Amino acid sequence: MSARSDPSLNARGRWPPPEGRRVAIVGSRRPTPYGEAVAERLAGDLAAAGVVVVSGLARGIDSAAHRGALDGGGVTVAVLGTGVDVVYPAENAALAAEIVERGGALVSEFPDGTPPRRGHFPRRNWTMAAISDLVVVVEAAEGSGALITAEAALSLNRDVMAVPGSVFSPLSVGTHQLLRDGAGLVQNARDVLSALGDGLEVLDDPLRPPARLGMNAATRRDGLLVHLSDTLPTTAAEVARRLGLGFAEALARLTALELEGSAGRRGEGYIRLIRRE
Amino acid sequence: MFASVLTCLNRGLEGRIVEVQVDVATGGARFNLVGLADAGVKEARERVRSAIRNSRLPFPQTRLTVNLAPVELRKEGAGFDLPVAVAISLAVAGRRPPPGAAFIGELGLDGSVRHADGLLVGARALRTHGVEVLFCSPADAEEASLARGLTVMPAPDLASLMGHLAGGEPLAPWSGEAPRPPPEPAAEDDLAEVHGQEAARRALELAAAGGHHLLLSGSPGAGKTMLARCLAGILPPLTLEEAVEVAQVRSILGELDGQPLRWLRPFRAPHHSISTPGLVGGGSGLGSPGEISRADHGVLFLDELAEFQAGALQALRQPLEAGRVTITRSRGSVCFPARFTLVAATNPCPCGWLGDDRRPCHCPQGTIERYQRSLSGPLLDRIDLRVAVTRPPLAALSRGAGAEPSAAVRRRVIAARAVQEGRQGCLNARLRPSRLREVAPLGPAHRMLERWAEERGLTARGFHRAWRVARTAADLDGDAAIAERHVLEALGYRLPEHVRAF
Repeated sequence: MSARSDPSLNARGRWPPPEGRRVAIVGSRRPTPYGEAVAERLAGDLAAAGVVVVSGLARGIDSAAHRGALDGGGVTVAVLGTGVDVVYPAENAALAAEIVERGGALVSEFPDGTPPRRGHFPRRNWTMAAISDLVVVVEAAEGSGALITAEAALSLNRDVMAVPGSVFSPLSVGTHQLLRDGAGLVQNARDVLSALGDGLEVLDDPLRPPARLGMNAATRRDGLLVHLSDTLPTTAAEVARRLGLGFAEALARLTALELEGSAGRRGEGYIRLIRRE
Repeated sequence: MFASVLTCLNRGLEGRIVEVQVDVATGGARFNLVGLADAGVKEARERVRSAIRNSRLPFPQTRLTVNLAPVELRKEGAGFDLPVAVAISLAVAGRRPPPGAAFIGELGLDGSVRHADGLLVGARALRTHGVEVLFCSPADAEEASLARGLTVMPAPDLASLMGHLAGGEPLAPWSGEAPRPPPEPAAEDDLAEVHGQEAARRALELAAAGGHHLLLSGSPGAGKTMLARCLAGILPPLTLEEAVEVAQVRSILGELDGQPLRWLRPFRAPHHSISTPGLVGGGSGLGSPGEISRADHGVLFLDELAEFQAGALQALRQPLEAGRVTITRSRGSVCFPARFTLVAATNPCPCGWLGDDRRPCHCPQGTIERYQRSLSGPLLDRIDLRVAVTRPPLAALSRGAGAEPSAAVRRRVIAARAVQEGRQGCLNARLRPSRLREVAPLGPAHRMLERWAEERGLTARGFHRAWRVARTAADLDGDAAIAERHVLEALGYRLPEHVRAF
């Protein structure tokens, strides 16, 4: 791992951040709930271990990573593709403010007032890699901007790691390609910490299933829940067909699961929600 | 020499009695037509003169004045030809019209009596006014007979009509059979041909049973149009009165096409390029009915809802609430019925493929949000049911038989409507919140709905929408009380969270 450099950047908040390792967590702007949960939990656990979480303040995985880091009581840095005085997307204004408030920073290589421009984001992605020690990709479809960050990291001699996803999901194509090409496998924060070489061993018993990221899917709910995937939405009609139920009953039971937080509606279908303990 | 006969002027679906007064006085040959007649009615002078002459009847060579009373009503349309010609001929002959008679019809230059638009509306108004005999074109006789309680005298031409009135060869009254609804009118599109689509089938049944408006969302080719067409077939057949009301709208539009009574519920599917007047009514003069009135007692299907002009959709709100539309002009206002069930269809995104597993969606996130936002708002607020339509798997298509036919669904719909009629005298979709509390208490299921409202967020309107749909689900089950499963099912038809109407 080569020493990272801090290019000269405009910043809002504390920049450079406190000494310590920096991990960029990047991924799809339209993730599955699985990906979002992984990013949030991973960022939280890394932040709790003193790692500065770097991401791009975009929708989806980026936002989940920043949120997770803040929830973990850590410091997080958002690299913007706009001026540091412009928050894009606007819905993340509150998140951006909290990042600064909690000792992190918004940084950018673009001058103040620069609006979002398509051509700026690849450079932002490159900067993220440059200021980090390691890049973790969580859910990236083919051609995703997160892969640009991964490529930049490789050319800068940073480690690249990826979180595996469902083989049914198009959002796994990019991450699985990275894993095939030799990216490190991330199942939990310890995988990342050990790759950072901080002397932490992976303590999981290899003969037992890994504890993953410590997330448990809800159990002992309506038996219908096991017929839902946590990435691919299933329509109520499909659930009814598989279980031989009337549509009205299937819909009522799915809504009941929604009410208790075990299932969620995505587009035209339902997925199982991964709940943190 | 003076004579007067009765006829009728239509203002919307309201017929106003008009007296045609004729005075033949001495003086130079003149033909005056007074009484606020518009340009089209003024042309009657030419048609009437030719028709009378070509019928070998005398036309006065002196000063002729025709007055259409009352004067303050603006007279439109060609139906005045016949009464004016009859009044002139009677005046020349020095005779009175038979008591309780009225005349509506257009005249050809050869004296033939022709069709007049809106005859049914006129016939019903004349009957109410005490008229007993209506003379009209043979082509219009069946239509006129729908007014019931009126003797309809079809007159092929002016000469035979005047012969009849002079005591010559009598005309035969129309003697068709009284219309009776067929036991099971067959719709063109039957649910037996819809495979899979369990979600939409259930939603259609709820919509038909409770009178709820419905939003179908899904990718192109998923079958939204076919499903919407099926709704007309699972609604109860029209009653005679409803069928006549449907015929009235077609009558004033001149769209009866020789088939005055149809028992099938109307299904109207205007294209999204339609103008506001085309959709809700309006246009020249006092305005004519739009698609929503053509869909009265039936189904209005708006495919690609997001593509409709915002103004047209705005204009739908009041009729959706009131069941009728009022068009106000400086010369007065007319009212048309609009008691339709709305079925709206929309793609999930501009390209249509969001969430479809066969093709990727290439719409940028912002575009998708804008598209879905353009759907939100007051119109969706009035739609109780929203359901996703996905293309059924091929297996469901090849399984072939097994889909329940519309007739079977309709029987359940009729039963559920009878329960509502007995309980509250209207359909569940028409229940306002105060009535809802009164006649459809939620009971123990109330806690479930409140919990949802607290934890997941639900507007007051959304709360009541789910409540009404739950009541309909219970009615289809034949349950007197709303159960939790009914509320949960109803919540399953709520709009997606990103459409902020629910």
